Amino acid sequence: MRRTTEGGTRTMPFILKRTLLARLRRFAGAFLPFVVAIPALYAIERYVAFGGFGLGYLFQNIDHIGIAVILAVSLNLVNGLTGQFSIGHAGFMAVGGYVSAVLLLRGPEEDPYRLFYLMTILAGSGAAAVAGYLVGKPSLRLRGDYLAIVTLGFGEIIRVIIENTQMFGGAIGLSSIPHRADFTWIWAFAIGTIIIVKRLRESTHGRAFLSVREDEVAAEAMGVDTTGYKVRAFVISAAMAGAAGALSGAFEGNLAPQSFTFVRSFEVVAMVVLGGMGSITGSVVAAAVLTLLPEYLRGLADLRMVIYSVLLIVLMLVRPRGLFGTSEIWDYLAAYLRKRRPAPATEVSAPGAAGEALIDVKNATIRFGGLTAVCEFNLRVRPRELVALIGPNGAGKTTVFNLLTGVYPPSEGTISIAGRDTRGLSPHAIAHLGVARTFQNIRLFRELTAFDNVRVACHHLTRESMGAAVRRGELSLIEEEWISERAGQLLAVMGLAHRKDDLARNLPYGEQRRLEIARALATGPQVLLLDEPAAGTNTREKTELMQLIRDIRERFGVAVVLIEHDMKLVMGVSERILVLDHGVTIAQGLPREIQSNPKVIEAYLGEKYAREHAAQIEGKAGRPAETLP
Amino acid sequence: MTDFFQHLVDGVSVGAIYALIALGYTMVYGVLKLINFAHGDVFMIGAMMGWYASARWTSEARHPSIWGALGITVFAMIVCGLLGFAIERLAYRPLRNAPRINSLITAIGVSFLLEYGGQYLFGPNPRSFGVLPHKPPLQIHGVSLGYVDLVCILVSVALMFILQRVVFHTRIGTAMRAVSWNPDVAGLMGVNTDFVISFTFVLGSVLAAAAGILYASKYPSVHPLMGLMPGLKAFVAAVLGGIGNVPGAMLGGLLLGLAEQFVAGYGNSSWRDAVAFSILILILLAKPSGLLGRTAAEKV
Repeated sequence: MRRTTEGGTRTMPFILKRTLLARLRRFAGAFLPFVVAIPALYAIERYVAFGGFGLGYLFQNIDHIGIAVILAVSLNLVNGLTGQFSIGHAGFMAVGGYVSAVLLLRGPEEDPYRLFYLMTILAGSGAAAVAGYLVGKPSLRLRGDYLAIVTLGFGEIIRVIIENTQMFGGAIGLSSIPHRADFTWIWAFAIGTIIIVKRLRESTHGRAFLSVREDEVAAEAMGVDTTGYKVRAFVISAAMAGAAGALSGAFEGNLAPQSFTFVRSFEVVAMVVLGGMGSITGSVVAAAVLTLLPEYLRGLADLRMVIYSVLLIVLMLVRPRGLFGTSEIWDYLAAYLRKRRPAPATEVSAPGAAGEALIDVKNATIRFGGLTAVCEFNLRVRPRELVALIGPNGAGKTTVFNLLTGVYPPSEGTISIAGRDTRGLSPHAIAHLGVARTFQNIRLFRELTAFDNVRVACHHLTRESMGAAVRRGELSLIEEEWISERAGQLLAVMGLAHRKDDLARNLPYGEQRRLEIARALATGPQVLLLDEPAAGTNTREKTELMQLIRDIRERFGVAVVLIEHDMKLVMGVSERILVLDHGVTIAQGLPREIQSNPKVIEAYLGEKYAREHAAQIEGKAGRPAETLP
Repeated sequence: MTDFFQHLVDGVSVGAIYALIALGYTMVYGVLKLINFAHGDVFMIGAMMGWYASARWTSEARHPSIWGALGITVFAMIVCGLLGFAIERLAYRPLRNAPRINSLITAIGVSFLLEYGGQYLFGPNPRSFGVLPHKPPLQIHGVSLGYVDLVCILVSVALMFILQRVVFHTRIGTAMRAVSWNPDVAGLMGVNTDFVISFTFVLGSVLAAAAGILYASKYPSVHPLMGLMPGLKAFVAAVLGGIGNVPGAMLGGLLLGLAEQFVAGYGNSSWRDAVAFSILILILLAKPSGLLGRTAAEKV
């Protein structure tokens, strides 16, 4: 993912130390878990599992847990972090397992260092990723239950295809697959999965995933390519499930299509939900519990699955948010270890001067069925301008914002932003052009902290790849630092510094509105669209807001387009006013002119009132108002 | 051409059963927005109860009669109605305000419970089932219409007709539709939403019981996992017709039964299961709201 970075706000003021020692330390930090884990796992296997303690059965269960951990943690990336509900995970596991098994069965007898096996795992994982792409690309347009059903359907189709393919052993399956997977291999992959998902989660990509879960419309408006992120989560998750399949096949020595039915997928979903959606620790623990539970209930023979299902129901009723909610074990550890670093004093600076008109709307019209919501709308916004859009309820003001941000494409007419025609661009692409908005009915990422809400909005200014995020690459470290810095400053500017770590949903109403503005500013916009920022605020807050809007303009050098019903605010702050009624621009001009415009008064107060008070209005205006059709 | 009509008859007969089960899915989804995955297992319990009643209380298994079958069906319906009521009350109601995925997991849990509980009580082996008298199939121009198929179609049509009357022409039906539009507002307008939801579960479960008896008569055996595939397919049928939509479920069930029968008849029967899911995916990608469903755009 490459993103352009230009203008004052879009450069990174931090430089990482480039000394050899520092580089080595970073490199070690990136791969340390593996450098330590693999020999340790090997040693455990060599000296404990086969150490003659009779732990064979225990270790077999531990290996099963390892596979379950890979499945649960990878599914958590889709279901928990990205909030997409997939219940076809077993299908991807089957793809990986069968591809790997078929290669293994045709592969060499001897496999020194199991390099060939590693290759088959990668092949299986790659095949599963391709399957994930093919499934995800079309179906991720759907949401919630529908997505769940489609993934379930795809999972079942994959199974039926395998059952009907000679190469995969048909309904009987494949047997005598070489036993290449063992404790070390399974747990190395399990640890790898945990680390990849954890590091992704903590990167800007992770926040993009979370923003998709919280509110897709808002995420898109903040410049997150929501479809892209859903597909990415799906593909990564499928690839990991494929690896789990490859490990499972070479561990058990056989594969049967019956073990990849939707019941298997449900088990994995149960692990994710039971552990807590979005909690990696939770997925790991739940994977262990749900794998061991039926094993150790085996003594109860026929009743074990009955008890298992009752426990599942009871756990769901008693702890609906799962065992761990969204929290992680390392969050608690980090709280102890956190060191406070001095913050460098950098300012969020103004973007460079832009060209002529930032927004240029020509004759935009939009119809919903037979209703023309906005008709022949024209608007030019120059840099640093303060424009207000007013009109009675249902006049089409918010629709204009939705047109500008690409939520709806116009039925007719053109909209250019920073000189570029936005036709065919999705909202996130328009956000990249420098348009940021707030929403009439607040659309924060409710379950994220104030700080993360702002950090999500910095997402599109970053260039780190997902690979870099996982490796803890140089660029990702620089960018993370820069994003945190920027987000901290924006919160401070909006007077929300003390709320940094509070969940957005717990903020009082006025602060939520200001957080929305902070979030919009974090995208580095050239135009800020504010949709009724004063709704529900009292007189004092309105005065403050008026000052704030002026400050934002001065400080960030942005143009502001304001939708507002509060006339005092509108008249006090805006330089130019457009009045909409029933989708038609009935007047535009300076605040003073609008106040005395008969058409505007008629729209607001009705024809009768306008006629009766005509003389009074004329007198007050002093001169006839200038109107534009 | 004879083949074609034969497949048509078989398809309608299977489709009618799918439609009966699909109605339960669609009604529950309508009022609760919950995919009741345990519904297929309620269907299984219905068939099990039929077997139990015929084996235990009467000697109908040996001398089946249509009146005996009717009595058995009513018994299965009552048991399943109570079961549906209990499931909603104990497993779903406490989670009504929790995220929907929780209810879904609970539904899966209930489904497992019924399946494995069934295995524990009845044993995992299939048992033969015969509550309907054996009669030779009707022969119409070479197309054979089995007695069981005939009963399936007639009973299903009758039940669907009754349901249609209940949903669209009674007070409780109006209340159900109100709850499906918006439970909160329906509650404010004086609808007892809890009662309506319970009623919906009971109604769906009663239909599932009837479908269970018919299905078990058609493929004359019962076993604890028999609800899995028909349940899933009926669910596909509900989505196909537009989930939450009562006539849609009937249409979807019929279309699904026909499509399966034609693929199995003219193609390869081992791809039968793939048909349902392929249809599902195609319909969801092309028209996610289903054939008769209503689309709703999100307001920004």
